[in-house]
Amino acid sequence: MTLSSSATAEHIYATGLRNQWHPVVPSHFVAPGAMRKVTALGEQWLLFRRSDGVLSMLADRCPHRGAPLSLGKHLGDRVACWYHGVEVESDGTVSSVPGLPGCSLEGKKLVTSLPVREVAGAILAYFGDEEHPEPAELALPEPLTDPEVDAFLCYAEWNAPWRYAVENLLDPMHGAFLHHDSHTMFDGDTTAKFRIRETARGYFFEKTDQRGVNFDWVELCRTGVDWVDLSIPYPPSAGPGGPFGIVGMVCPVDEQRSGVFFWRYRRVEDWQRASWRFLYRTLIEQRHWDVLEQDRVMLEAMPADADQQENLYQHDLGVVRLRRLYRAAAEAQSTAGV
Amino acid sequence: MTDTWPYLDVHQSRTHEPTPYEYKLAATLEEVFTREGHELADVVRGLNARQVHAADGSPWTEESFRAEMNRLGA
Repeated sequence: MTLSSSATAEHIYATGLRNQWHPVVPSHFVAPGAMRKVTALGEQWLLFRRSDGVLSMLADRCPHRGAPLSLGKHLGDRVACWYHGVEVESDGTVSSVPGLPGCSLEGKKLVTSLPVREVAGAILAYFGDEEHPEPAELALPEPLTDPEVDAFLCYAEWNAPWRYAVENLLDPMHGAFLHHDSHTMFDGDTTAKFRIRETARGYFFEKTDQRGVNFDWVELCRTGVDWVDLSIPYPPSAGPGGPFGIVGMVCPVDEQRSGVFFWRYRRVEDWQRASWRFLYRTLIEQRHWDVLEQDRVMLEAMPADADQQENLYQHDLGVVRLRRLYRAAAEAQSTAGV
Repeated sequence: MTDTWPYLDVHQSRTHEPTPYEYKLAATLEEVFTREGHELADVVRGLNARQVHAADGSPWTEESFRAEMNRLGA
């Protein structure tokens, strides 16, 4: 099993774009010597971490009869299917068929194994279709690699389509309303004009008349993985270090569900860094969570056909641009194998 | 950690539930940052003026505050 090149554009748009990297779950969800069943891009996968810590992501399907490997046994460096004991190595190679030693399955790489990287506490995987198995080049978000920036990952699972989760981020104006009663977005005008500014890796969607007050701009970055960057001022109570930023990514789980990854980051060092980290753990994380819950409640309550019956206005240019981009990519990918 | 959907965990950065001392220090620190300023000297003065002292009861110095933040914010 792998992602099919012949999937329709509709299916790809609903379950996530192929031939790029996506976040899957936080790294700590899979301890050394453990495995975890996950759904991503509408398919079933097995995250498998060998006892020595090496992580792999396999199709959750025994190459023998199709039983889920996730029901099998972790043998340290392999997984044994529970059904007939077929053993599969972390790269997808069948190492042993105990019921019929010497069977032709042995030594063959019959299970799809996705390239994986672990980045700032999250597992990223490359979801290529049959025509594009080699991983796309991946440039990581600078805030997650810059040693002068400190970040905490917040991961949550939402019963909302992945597109709604991304669209929400390309819609900064919701901050002034949905998050009005929050610790960071209480300030700023509730009217604004926006513009789109193209970049080599995506685009900015930003207010023309206000910056540094609220959720005033967002940058969509397509660098092998799709992510957004944005910045929101902290109140003075958060201490020195200026605004906090968010690097956001979304895992398309299936048509109705998504995993959201938000790294809250701040450019801080020395005692200022330590005091922010202390305050974050003790008091601020809860407030960030309360804001995120407002998004979850709203997105989960959106009707399934919300994006079919709309009357958009100027503030929705960022969303319109995003949809056009993703629609075009889904169309292109659906014909890739033709 | 649970395998059941959905995973919704408010606290993902903590290693332990903060102690009463940590809660009090954090809340006071926020007040000091709001009212006194963001310089290290402001913070030490503000905490001491509010009689919110180190765990051993001694008044803060810049060195002791730095060391405690490094411990709590590591």
